Amino acid sequence: MDFPEGLRYTRQHEWIRDDGANVYTVGITEHATGQLGDVTYVELPEVGMELDQGKAAGAVESVKAASDVYAPIGGHVSEVNGELESRPELVNQSPYDEGWFFKIADGNLRDFNKLMDAKAYALYVEGLDE
Amino acid sequence: MRQTPLFDEHRALGGKIVDFTGWALPVQFAGILNEHEHTRAKASLFDCSHMGEFCIKGERGIQAYDALVTMNAAGLAVGRARYGFLLTEGGGIIDDLVAMRVAEDELFVVTNAGPLERVATLFAGRVPGLRDVSDETAKIDIQGPLSREILVRIGLPVASDLRYFGLFRAEWEGHTLLVSRTGYTGELGYELFMPNDLAVHLWRTLLRHPDVAPAGLGARDTLRLEMGYSLSGQDFDDTRSPLEASQEAFVDWSKEFTGRAALEKQRERGAFSVLTAIRADSRRAPRHGFEVYKEDDAVGLVTSGTYGPSVGCGIGLAYLPQELAKPGTALATGPRRFEIETTQLPFYRNGTCRN
Repeated sequence: MDFPEGLRYTRQHEWIRDDGANVYTVGITEHATGQLGDVTYVELPEVGMELDQGKAAGAVESVKAASDVYAPIGGHVSEVNGELESRPELVNQSPYDEGWFFKIADGNLRDFNKLMDAKAYALYVEGLDE
Repeated sequence: MRQTPLFDEHRALGGKIVDFTGWALPVQFAGILNEHEHTRAKASLFDCSHMGEFCIKGERGIQAYDALVTMNAAGLAVGRARYGFLLTEGGGIIDDLVAMRVAEDELFVVTNAGPLERVATLFAGRVPGLRDVSDETAKIDIQGPLSREILVRIGLPVASDLRYFGLFRAEWEGHTLLVSRTGYTGELGYELFMPNDLAVHLWRTLLRHPDVAPAGLGARDTLRLEMGYSLSGQDFDDTRSPLEASQEAFVDWSKEFTGRAALEKQRERGAFSVLTAIRADSRRAPRHGFEVYKEDDAVGLVTSGTYGPSVGCGIGLAYLPQELAKPGTALATGPRRFEIETTQLPFYRNGTCRN
């Protein structure tokens, strides 16, 4: 399974990337898409919405299951991936690129730095499978 | 978990195995959406060997069976099948079943895996000439518009004029199979009943055809729900009658059956909730167990729900008071109370099962 270096990860299987200029991009990991199966619906937050770390910021549904997507760090929503409304399959096909969910501006860098790196997340996922 | 004769095949094909009423069965192979589309466009194989089957030999047994169930089984012509229910005295649905008249003096009855023990016990004392053949019978469903030509190609002579719910016994490679033009997907398809030791050979032979792919329980569920077919144990159980489950079409009032008095009383009284088709205006799926709301009031319960891949929106079945069940009623469902509307079945209207 692919967990790219340079991203940070949460226990709820979101990834977050520091795009610079205090903007961060958020999506869900390949482990999460594997668990969900084919994604059929994505609920995105409103642009401008204030996010608290760990609070629900959207949802993702597959044929089999539905789950919330949580804000990995605090900040506010600066952009969402509207393409997912008509093409939710992008989440499966390209979880770290075209399947991104939303961007956070004025993100809390201290929260970011406390999240798991790729190596720690890979160990965490391995532990879940046991 | 119990394994069907095809368990090793599923593993070898990369099937993701889950526990389905005590049976180890594949939920998916290539992915639910992929298998769903493949079934609507070409043909898929489903392992249904977990299901229950009974053989009833002799006129007395056929009459005794007929007196228990809601469908007219005694009046079935040879080579025809009917769908119906076995009820409690109180009118609740123990299971749904298909009765097939394979010969003048022989019925073949197909039931579900979940309630099998209960059904078998109930039949055992009351139906003479009955044999439970569940443990020795494998069942492979081939479903999809190309099903017939594929069966003909492997040497199973399925006549093009075999109608929906028609059936026949066929010889294939030295074995006798029962072939019925029935299924659970809405597409042209056949259910093949055979001795356990033939299952792997037939499964592999069918899979050699380039237009055939295996499909799991996941696609089986999205396909059946797009047609509005109920799932026994989920959309109804022994707390719901066929009237509540919107299945009165499969109750033959011209004959006796267990639970008849209770059904008559319920029909007279009215005022019961009925299983109703619901549709979301988005891809968001109603889910099993979701409450349904009319404004702020909880008015019903979703029993099945999914995203319908061939209809492009969330679909489901829910028990609703009759006054809210008429098509076009605006409601909401789920913890986030997204909008749904009642509608008519089937959700998917281009199925080939009756072509």
